[in-house]
Amino acid sequence: MMLGGVTTTLAISIFSLLLGLSIGLPAAFVRTYEKSLRFLVEVFEKIFRGIPELVLMLLFYWGIGLYVPFPFKNAIFTATFVLGLRSAANQSQIFRGAIRGIGDEQMVAARSIGFSKLRSIVHVMIPQVFVFATPGLGSEYALLVKDSSYAFVIGVSELMFDTIMIRKATLDAVTPYLVSAFLYILLTLPIAAWLDNWGSRRKKKLGV
Amino acid sequence: MVGIVMKCEHLWKTYEPHLIAVKDVSLKIGEGEIKLIFGPSGSGKSTFLRCLAMLTMPDKGDVFLRDECLTKPGVNLNKERARIGFVFQHIWLFRHLTALGNVELALRRVLKQPKEEARENALKALREVKMEEWAHHYPAQMSGGQQQRVGIARALARNPDIILLDEPTSALDPELTGEVIDTLRDLAGKGTTMLIISHEMPFAREIADEMIFYDGGTIVETGPPEQFFTNPQSERAKKFMTRLIMKTRRE
Repeated sequence: MMLGGVTTTLAISIFSLLLGLSIGLPAAFVRTYEKSLRFLVEVFEKIFRGIPELVLMLLFYWGIGLYVPFPFKNAIFTATFVLGLRSAANQSQIFRGAIRGIGDEQMVAARSIGFSKLRSIVHVMIPQVFVFATPGLGSEYALLVKDSSYAFVIGVSELMFDTIMIRKATLDAVTPYLVSAFLYILLTLPIAAWLDNWGSRRKKKLGV
Repeated sequence: MVGIVMKCEHLWKTYEPHLIAVKDVSLKIGEGEIKLIFGPSGSGKSTFLRCLAMLTMPDKGDVFLRDECLTKPGVNLNKERARIGFVFQHIWLFRHLTALGNVELALRRVLKQPKEEARENALKALREVKMEEWAHHYPAQMSGGQQQRVGIARALARNPDIILLDEPTSALDPELTGEVIDTLRDLAGKGTTMLIISHEMPFAREIADEMIFYDGGTIVETGPPEQFFTNPQSERAKKFMTRLIMKTRRE
């Protein structure tokens, strides 16, 4: 029974990580290199890092979903959407640190061979940025797996939801939680460790 | 009369609040000429060189690359920068690319050469700096001197109108300096137009058409190398040369 929950938890975590990436990575470059738009990114970061995920989920599902039923009345979508935005705010900061780690020199060198700012980012900065971001990305992924457990409050049948159901059915308040704790570790640890390992190996290759 | 490859007129660059790195500097470099800038550190030489490549925007004055004015509004600076080779003091190769990748990148993505042609030209440039065998190595696997030679190949490969070199050997130990100097000597022999910041005095004497003493954000004295070695005109140049020659002798 828990297997379905595990799949949903994994799906929410991975898709919200990807949503966060697709907003967070450009946001980090905008914040670093585009002074005029820096303010917008900062406001976005402050809002989504400042409000608890639980509040956001309830707000989007029950509140905004009331007026915009599609797609917000789809609980899995809303959970992924909210976690994705929160993750975008985090990832924007992770990647900003990574860009700083790469160093402005790489950018200057790229400009010197005739690249525009945008093409320097595409051809020189982005290929290196993931290597510098791996420790942060690993913990961000782990955070998303854990925070996806909030989705049970809007009725998503993920791992936490299933655990509660089993507890209610068996009246055993210990075993289901222990099993689910173990499953959460199983979901986070290998991927986070693999990311870390990949990052270290790549870093060695880049000589940093 | 030789054509002028690059010139600047009344160039200024000030850093807030009162640090003037480039103060009303004018300079011309003709086809095939090699000019060498030297002077105390912190005098603004690097900033000046970067202003010429428009990597740092000058506050006032004009920079010309052949007939093109780079400082007038609306110029496609990316396109113009591709015509200028720049070699950095601390090398700054693209860490995620091999030697070949570093040299090839601009050929493929800026000059839009087809894959085969870009590869061939990149290998040719690596051959010129005697780094062809290292084509598939990453910067982290090379010595500083080898990295800098790849840096020179990267600047050289797109057949730039001029190569600007910002102290290409000052981050290297004497042995590695030698191999980079050899590379530059080869380029000089082929008639490459270069503006070099360097304090390698024997090398300067051998290849420079003109030496430029730069101090306090401005050109203090220019002349043929012999003038600086035997009879510098300004007091400041005289003092600086004495110290440089002593240091070179010690080494």
